[in-house]
Amino acid sequence: MMAIRELKVCLLGDTGVGKSSIVCRFVQDHFDHNISPTIGASFMTKTVPCGNELHKFLIWDTAGQERFHSLAPMYYRGSAAAVIVYDITKQDSFHTLKKWVKELKEHGPENIVMAIAGNKCDLSDLREVTMKDAKEYAESIGAIVVETSAKNAINIEELFQGISQQIPPLNPHENSNNGAIRLGKQTTQMSRPCC
Amino acid sequence: MADNLPSEFDVVVIGTGLPESIIAAACSRSGQRVLHVDSRNYYGGNWASFSFSGLSSWIKENQQKTDISEESEDWRKLILETEEAICLNKKDKTIQNVEDVCYASQDLAEDVKEAGALPNLPDFEASETSEAAQESEKECLPVESQSLGTASCEISSERIIGNDPGSTTERKDAEMTSERENLCDVTSDQSPLETGKTETISTTEAAALEPKKITYTQIVKEGRRFNIDLVSKLLYSRGLLIDLLMKSNVSRYAEFKNVTRILTFQEERVEQVPCSRADVFNSKQLTMVEKRMLMKFLTFCLDYEQHPDAYQDYKEYKFSEYLKTQKLTAKLQHFILHSIAMVSAADSNTIEGLKATKNFLQCLGRYGNTPFLFPLYGQGEIPQCFCRMCAVFGGIYCLRHSVQCLVVDKESGRCKAIIDHFGQRINANYFVVEDSYLSEETCTDVCYRQISRAVLITDQSVLKTDSDQQISILIVPPMELGQPAVRIIELCSSTMTCMKNTYLVHFTSSSTKTAKEDLEPVVQKLFTLNAETERESKNGGLEKPRVLWAVYFNMRDSSGIDRNSYDHLPSNVYVCSGPDSALGNDYAVKQAETLFQEMFPNEEFCPSPPNPEDIIYDGDGTPPEDPRFSNSSNMKTEPLSEESSDENSYKISEEHHKE
Repeated sequence: MMAIRELKVCLLGDTGVGKSSIVCRFVQDHFDHNISPTIGASFMTKTVPCGNELHKFLIWDTAGQERFHSLAPMYYRGSAAAVIVYDITKQDSFHTLKKWVKELKEHGPENIVMAIAGNKCDLSDLREVTMKDAKEYAESIGAIVVETSAKNAINIEELFQGISQQIPPLNPHENSNNGAIRLGKQTTQMSRPCC
Repeated sequence: MADNLPSEFDVVVIGTGLPESIIAAACSRSGQRVLHVDSRNYYGGNWASFSFSGLSSWIKENQQKTDISEESEDWRKLILETEEAICLNKKDKTIQNVEDVCYASQDLAEDVKEAGALPNLPDFEASETSEAAQESEKECLPVESQSLGTASCEISSERIIGNDPGSTTERKDAEMTSERENLCDVTSDQSPLETGKTETISTTEAAALEPKKITYTQIVKEGRRFNIDLVSKLLYSRGLLIDLLMKSNVSRYAEFKNVTRILTFQEERVEQVPCSRADVFNSKQLTMVEKRMLMKFLTFCLDYEQHPDAYQDYKEYKFSEYLKTQKLTAKLQHFILHSIAMVSAADSNTIEGLKATKNFLQCLGRYGNTPFLFPLYGQGEIPQCFCRMCAVFGGIYCLRHSVQCLVVDKESGRCKAIIDHFGQRINANYFVVEDSYLSEETCTDVCYRQISRAVLITDQSVLKTDSDQQISILIVPPMELGQPAVRIIELCSSTMTCMKNTYLVHFTSSSTKTAKEDLEPVVQKLFTLNAETERESKNGGLEKPRVLWAVYFNMRDSSGIDRNSYDHLPSNVYVCSGPDSALGNDYAVKQAETLFQEMFPNEEFCPSPPNPEDIIYDGDGTPPEDPRFSNSSNMKTEPLSEESSDENSYKISEEHHKE
């Protein structure tokens, strides 16, 4: 049996850039034009193989708390990766991306994997942000970057594969959950290597 | 603000402390449209936790004596003839006597700042760094931050280096530099990586080696590793908060550590209290006879109600007196009174003591060897978890959002709306307000108690063992009659509340004087305040840990206040209190549930969430079989793996037949 590693991924980005749509596409392979601002969805999970491990992504949505700049620090706790989303048709959303990155550097764990997603690439006629700008910026902060379309299912799988590859391999000497207790969990087989 | 706030809600909640957050979650969960605001730029109010720089800003803010100048009264135009306004507080007045002291050596800490800290509070004094200037061009950052992020961490004038009055100095005093350099063997330039290496060496090698001295600069640099709670509480493993977290599934947002030790302070020494069966048998401090006595008494306490004859005659006695009548040595009486029942020797009667002892014993063994859990990253996470729950069900969140007034309809006497600091009028049916937001006018008849608090950063545990990762609770009985007992909780770095090689030590008591006057005598009994001097008794092994940094403050205790003592509050305005001084969180949970039931008598309080949030699509798209996400209301949440084995607990068999 392959070892399952649970990886918390948090989503960041302005309201309306398609954060929830990306997760929805990735997890359910589904796209809804009239997705209501994130209600009732706390986090979604999907397990994908990576090398000789299984990565179980626990993808946390902002639950709309970013709307009035009121995300709680607990949102970032223990995240292995962050997906920071902008809308390629809105220059503004690319600007605020940088603020989200700063925010993440302040509150997020130190070795967090950052992935930038330029969403809505199906609307390239309306493009305001060039891929070149995005790439340069991503490089400067050591993030991976792809342009995605949740609507047309472009690069969504690739985005998460990219994250998987960036996750450092498990150090067998390190107990990753550090003896922490989760209430109401039947078993805690957190990232235990099989041997 | 890019987005406009709607003007119609069912419930407006003002304040993000624990009871308000639970109510917000409960309301949102039951389908109400909730607006949850806080005038501060962080979650939790007096339940919050801060990074080191965040706490420094909080300290400064609370040391400022100046009141906020009167703002424009334009909003009064929004009040109709038939209405009147109840103004809310502009400035929080619940924190007093804030005093911080740095004992660690301060090696030219001029430009040190917390890694990653942002100068991000727009209304805070502009910082001079060019980075900050660039940022301010782009207007306000998304400031979810808890840290108010001052670029430089200045040291307030109250701070004193060392204990020696002669060394009292201001921060920019450079004369002492050379001396300091000699004293501190770790330079500020040392990278965390290097520090890490030396640590491993020093722990594995000779124990006689003096541990590395942590400097103030290091604390500031590693400031984000700290999560310093304003209140110091623990969760009883069978307390109301744990039950609520599991029932509502909010528990998924947090992780916990079991408190590893119960300590006691007797005859000027810190000792570990044996509290589980295994502990008692393995204890080296107790004689065989004492072990039997203790086991016999504790076994009796577990079902004391069944044996009324054993305590009937002592009902009116103090618990401490009752213990004297039992076959217990003085040492055992001390253990039971202060460390197990944790009741006051002066006030608590026999029944209260027995009840507390039973509660303690019942909480043992559920998750580990003590009855208590502590949330990773601090108690301040818990309100945030409930806020997330509220948001997940559609609640809207606005920090940095103050409310000018409540608008009351004269005829019906009911509150109709609030007017916020933008002058927007927001209508709702129910209003939940945390006590500190109510103005002095509203609270003239209210009599508040105070809590004395101290938080220390120290370099060693109060009781060293093989493991440096212990979480301990210690009750220090009053030194003089009439004084309150002091509760101490010592946290290690694996709780994610302090940097490596330090401990965060929380002191709490009810106040008789200022926090410093109440608590410093106890601090001095347990710790060395003079960090500059070499340890004296290197061979004796009785050396006390050093205090590197400390803060003292008094916090208002607004629990237990009769609603009728608030003047002229409409019946649809519900008041939540700030943190109480008790160890557990039962008061806040009870209050939240009571208020919620008053508002919505027919709604269930925080039922476990339904689909769709629990739908898990696994790779192949099949619906989940995972029982922990099942939708049944009869939750089977007992985590088997965490149950400890038989000898660690008095009571485990009852685990699976509740109700």
